[in-house]
Amino acid sequence: MEDLLVYLHFVVLPQMIDALVIGVALAVVALGLTMIFGLLDVINLAHGDLYMLGGYAAFTLLGWGAGYWGALVLVPILIGLIGWGLEELGIRPLLARADRATVTLLLTFGVSLMLRDLAQVVWGTDTHAVTAPFTGMASMAQVFVPTYRLFIFGAGVLAIGATWWLVYRTRIGAVLRATAVDPGMVASFGIPIRLVYGLTFMYGCALAGLASVLLSPIYAVFPTMGHDFLVLAFAVVIVGGMGSITGAVVAALLLSQVQGLASLWIPPVWAETMVYGLMLLVLVVRPSGLFNRIGEA
Amino acid sequence: MPQAKASGIGAESLPKPAPKPTVGDRLAQVLRAGDADNRQLRWFGLAMLAFALLFPWFAGPFYMRLAIEALLLGAVALSVDILLGYAGLLSLGQAAYFGLAAYVSSLMYLYVSQSFWLVALAVSATVAVFSLVLGAIAIRAKGVYFALITFGAAEILSKIAHNTRAIGGSDGLIGIPVPSIPLLPGVAVDLHSNFAFYNAVLAGLVLIYLGTRRILNTGFGSLLRAIRENSSRVPYLGYNPFWYKLLTYLLAAQVAAFGGLIYPLLRGFVAPNLFGFEVSTKAVVVSLVGGIGSLIGPLVGSVFITFLESVVGTYTERHLFVLGLIFVVFVLFLPDGLVGLMRHVSERSRRPA
Amino acid sequence: MKKTTLCDTTAIAALTLALVSNVYAADPIKVGVVTPLSGSYAPIGKQVRWGAELAVKEINAAGGVNGRPFELLFEDEEANPPVAVRKSEKLLQQDKVDFLTGTVNSGSTLAVGQLAERNDRILVTTVSYAPSITGAQCNANVFRVNANAFMQSNALTNWLTKNVPGKRYFFIGPDYEMGRSTISAFQKDVARLGGSDTGSTFPPLGAKDFSSYIGQIRAARPDVIMTATAGNDTVRLLTTLKEYGILNDKLTLAGAAGAVTQENIAAMAGAGDGFVSSAGYSTDIDTPDNKKFVAAFKKEFQADPDLFGADTYGLFFLFKQAIEKAGGTTDTAKLRAAMEDASWNTPQGKKTMRKGDHQAIVDMLVVKVKGNDFATVGKVPGEEAVGPDNCDNF
Repeated sequence: MEDLLVYLHFVVLPQMIDALVIGVALAVVALGLTMIFGLLDVINLAHGDLYMLGGYAAFTLLGWGAGYWGALVLVPILIGLIGWGLEELGIRPLLARADRATVTLLLTFGVSLMLRDLAQVVWGTDTHAVTAPFTGMASMAQVFVPTYRLFIFGAGVLAIGATWWLVYRTRIGAVLRATAVDPGMVASFGIPIRLVYGLTFMYGCALAGLASVLLSPIYAVFPTMGHDFLVLAFAVVIVGGMGSITGAVVAALLLSQVQGLASLWIPPVWAETMVYGLMLLVLVVRPSGLFNRIGEA
Repeated sequence: MPQAKASGIGAESLPKPAPKPTVGDRLAQVLRAGDADNRQLRWFGLAMLAFALLFPWFAGPFYMRLAIEALLLGAVALSVDILLGYAGLLSLGQAAYFGLAAYVSSLMYLYVSQSFWLVALAVSATVAVFSLVLGAIAIRAKGVYFALITFGAAEILSKIAHNTRAIGGSDGLIGIPVPSIPLLPGVAVDLHSNFAFYNAVLAGLVLIYLGTRRILNTGFGSLLRAIRENSSRVPYLGYNPFWYKLLTYLLAAQVAAFGGLIYPLLRGFVAPNLFGFEVSTKAVVVSLVGGIGSLIGPLVGSVFITFLESVVGTYTERHLFVLGLIFVVFVLFLPDGLVGLMRHVSERSRRPA
Repeated sequence: MKKTTLCDTTAIAALTLALVSNVYAADPIKVGVVTPLSGSYAPIGKQVRWGAELAVKEINAAGGVNGRPFELLFEDEEANPPVAVRKSEKLLQQDKVDFLTGTVNSGSTLAVGQLAERNDRILVTTVSYAPSITGAQCNANVFRVNANAFMQSNALTNWLTKNVPGKRYFFIGPDYEMGRSTISAFQKDVARLGGSDTGSTFPPLGAKDFSSYIGQIRAARPDVIMTATAGNDTVRLLTTLKEYGILNDKLTLAGAAGAVTQENIAAMAGAGDGFVSSAGYSTDIDTPDNKKFVAAFKKEFQADPDLFGADTYGLFFLFKQAIEKAGGTTDTAKLRAAMEDASWNTPQGKKTMRKGDHQAIVDMLVVKVKGNDFATVGKVPGEEAVGPDNCDNF
């Protein structure tokens, strides 16, 4: 019994705390993805590469003396703007087509290929470091957690909270939710739908940029960093329900816990495969995911 | 009434029996059948075939083998088109069947049998079972979810191949021999000869293409089109869309499996990358570039992109960028692909100046 | 009037060109380098490329091989075996190269090695360290000039068990063939030398977060952590270990030679300090040959060479020697014979090829990371480190 408690306290609990921190960061990335799908019906396969660009931008800004906090503010704006560009040039012309979900998926895939190579041209292939603004450990109930990770947790929760507030407690959010349900009706009120779409896409990409600045100090910056995260983010979005904010958050926390705890008992590579299996299971049993889309009851 | 004689008095006023059609006549009939659209496609297809047959005479061994690989990718692309262009289902995981076929083929050759037809049978059976299971699950999902399920399935197979050391793990398997394909007693195609290999694959692919075209030109194809356009109406006609989509899915899987069956014979090895996202998405890219819905488009697109990449690769490592750019351009401006472009051009030229 | 001048200039230019190119009237020796130039292994491919370019530049400037210059043809294999095979086939059949080299991951080396055999050409790897390449899956047309995992492990564990008082070892390896076989070599050697195995874990290749393994590591209370990660994985592993306060003076970090190299050391921001590995090369080898090599490399590429660059550089001198010994021909059978008995000079000293399995015998150095540099702290002679010949295929 004693052993079990010790095990729970010093093995399982730290594992859960770690998974929690990662889960929150993952939620931020997945949030952007799900909002873009929920509103525009677009599956943004370039999301991971925008995340990657965010990391490189942070690295470059730090090199120019902007400091970590400067990067934390500037990078999301930068990535958001790039996202806006992508939306205006690539996605908007395709939204009118009947098969828009398919065709925008294909387009963002092509863009993702381009961005990946572009990053290698501009920044080379080496891995780069982004220094954390502070180091040190905090101790909570005899479990050690690096303070920077607590910061990630806090910042992530703030971002999620801000997003929730924006979508459910402001006028802009109401417009967004209405557009997701019936764009025609919203347009007839004289509200520029184009702007709504553009801003949403921009916000979603900005979230990816924010996540990458938060995570770069612990994950480093390199060309394929986006791919790892993208697949997991998609699993989260699918399980949580495409277009659902609550879903993205719940699923991110859930899946990261599942993977973290499973790694304790089965080989980690199979734990990873298991997450994919879960995603598949949800797609089969309840394709719309655990929660409903933005705007739907 | 007694039959009027075809000769003798009064024979000139009788209608002459039609002369038996010659081979030339029949060919001309086939070529002229169908609407302008089909005819165009037919001519295009024949032109491509002629080019393909002449190709070995001026290409070296490397390009012949590259062409074979392009044709194998073409098979996967064809399977994408069957699903997307006819059933309206975007599959992002056809590599699952390519990879599955490749691995089964390799394991059979390495451990069970060197007989080509036995291996082909094993591959076909395995793929049929997998596609039945996965298809039954995936088809029930709508639109984009189908794409995600197929993607997820291919990824899982890829991970399983990567993690299982018994089938080579991340290094894959090497040592697959180059066999002979027995056709008739005493007649075999020795795949050691690049020329024979190329023509055998070409012949196989042409047969598959014609067979697929045949199947999709029947009522089955029309029904699929109906399902694609308005699937909620179809049950009122007395048909259950599910079974037709499933059948199409099984067919597509077999077509993709052809590519996987041959790949290890060409390259001598298999690796988990063959299940990968790169293969699935490449198949989609070349299909789109070639022209969705035309069946010949994916084959043409595959050859075009494979050779383009080979050329680009000698000048820059940035081939992903080039591929992505081509793809984006086609998605935005040429959604009907090269075949669509050809149609557009020939229509323009037919209109009076 | 202008036209004539243009014509004249063109004629003069053409003549000059013809004159210059006649310095090498003999046809070049083509070497195909199929190496990852994009993707996650690109940093390694970059060093391979640099090593090759520097060697070829020097050899050609000194008159080439029997008057024939080396010519390098690069292809990007993206660390993807199907791509590697396709590109290699182009080099072999289209460009008609005389040698192949450059493959990095063992899957690519095995598949390309098979292709080389079917095309009657020789492949030499300067990076892949899976033992099976010169062991169970050895091939008469494949040679290896770098130290394999077995050799690294042998030398490293020897040094560790002698120099580190603690006996508790923990192993972390990425879960794929290379990772598993490297860790397995470490585990065997540690057990043989009296260390105790307190556990191992195999995160997936490219694992995002190593924090989930911290608990296991802590519970094992190791004195030495041995890792077979590479590139970004090492960066993430070590920064996480540092973040969680696992790294301290009593803990020794050790691992495969590819774990910490020029490419990822800067990104670790000090987390890699004290990391011990065994490699066939180190920039601080104190011989005039090496000093000259490092200086030339730095001048040409503004970066230090690592083991991949150095081993690739040394390879071309083996090629040169083999061709000269074979009488100037690039006939594969003659080259093979010449290479099998070769003993040639490289920046890290003399290397000797072992005939039985085509593995080069290399003096192993034990290297420790200090800041952004590597310092040699020990040495094991090649004959001792190389291990048994496990090759039965030829």
